[in-house]
Amino acid sequence: MQELLNHPAIQSGLAPFIAALLVAELLKRLRLSGLSIIAGFAATVFLASNFSVDPLTATRKIVWLGIAASMVGVLLAGFNLSGFSGSVWRPVLSILSGAAAIWVGLPILQHQALNVALQWGVGCALFVTWLVFWMDGLHDTSVRAGSAGMALGLGTGGAALLGGSGMLGQFGLAIGAAAGAYLMIQMLANRRLPCGRSYTLPLSLITGLVACVAVLTTKLPWYALIPIAMIPLAAKIPVSEKLVLWVQSLLLSVATLSCAASAVYLTWRVAGAPPF
Amino acid sequence: MLSRISIAALLFSTVPLMSHAAESYTIDPSHTYPHFSVSHLGFSTMQGRFEKSSGKVTLDRAAKKGTVEISIEATSISTGWAKRDEHLRGPDFFNAAEFPTISYKSSAVKFQGNNPSSVEGTLTLLGVSKPVTLSIDAFKCGANPMNQKELCGAAASAQIKRSDFGMTYALPGVGDEIKLVFEVEAYKD
Repeated sequence: MQELLNHPAIQSGLAPFIAALLVAELLKRLRLSGLSIIAGFAATVFLASNFSVDPLTATRKIVWLGIAASMVGVLLAGFNLSGFSGSVWRPVLSILSGAAAIWVGLPILQHQALNVALQWGVGCALFVTWLVFWMDGLHDTSVRAGSAGMALGLGTGGAALLGGSGMLGQFGLAIGAAAGAYLMIQMLANRRLPCGRSYTLPLSLITGLVACVAVLTTKLPWYALIPIAMIPLAAKIPVSEKLVLWVQSLLLSVATLSCAASAVYLTWRVAGAPPF
Repeated sequence: MLSRISIAALLFSTVPLMSHAAESYTIDPSHTYPHFSVSHLGFSTMQGRFEKSSGKVTLDRAAKKGTVEISIEATSISTGWAKRDEHLRGPDFFNAAEFPTISYKSSAVKFQGNNPSSVEGTLTLLGVSKPVTLSIDAFKCGANPMNQKELCGAAASAQIKRSDFGMTYALPGVGDEIKLVFEVEAYKD
């Protein structure tokens, strides 16, 4: 059994898929199916890594920021936000996420020359801000968010894996598997699941940070982030709401997964096959 | 005249003391390589080493005391396959972008006879510091016949668990137990 649980495909494929499937279904009535993303991610962290804090490395910061982001998502869904327009949160969360990207990259950037550190820091912050902003725009469209989430996870995970980090790759793939489970329920049952920021915020933040740290520490080329950044936009292509959900999901997934595949391909051109 | 004699006497009287003082050595990076070996899936034992290291050693044989400080560049890891080296430098293993230096600092040097037999100290890897005792398996001092400089050489080894330092990726496939071997040469300053 332990040997099975040590297998990367179980750790970052099957385990997050099942965890997300259960959470999405169980929390449906509470309108918190979005927590399926963090449930799937946490399953992978538990099996393949740990929840340690000290020393607070970039990878560990990603784990804790992901958990915190899901809690923020729940709070935003739960609180009565009268007095605030819902749209206020979109730029606020995006800018805070960009700042979080700098905090995550800081222990790496401080060993670089100032001009290089500034270039990378600003680039990472802008990338994460962009992802969180555009994914937030999908927080009330569960099928589009599901397709974009699956592609973001598989794209960043696949690219990070080829870039040379199994752990970052597993983190990304876990998000892809969890989002895949969330989307699959909607496809099979032909009914939408509740989405919300408890889904979009941790998903976009974790995948954005994974991609950034992979650029800083592996052979993942910076320009592979461009097709990844296009994924939330690809999920906005016009697809008739009258179509059954599995057809909508399929069409949207073709568009979003094309972007993800481009990122993986660009990384493969530079890095080749992984060394494991 | 008397004062000159007293100064001369004072100077001569310090000579034996100075000969017992600690001698300082600087590590020769071209003959100092920290090696490691680790089980690969239980099938074989992979060997690797770090190409760049530096440090200082002091020895006081009379007082049976000494100090050791070694600094290793994590990016200089070499296992004979560039692709694997890149992976080892990355966040899964040595995370060299965040922790570019591995260091060892002694707290006590134990002697057996005139020669050091073990070093107690702290190994800092991935930002985690743990006590590690190096066992000195070989030790020799003398003049290097090529350049006549005073030189000491040693082979020291230790066994650590990489998980103790937070390096948990690919456990247990890639072994937890790591054997460290320090082959060191240091010239007297």
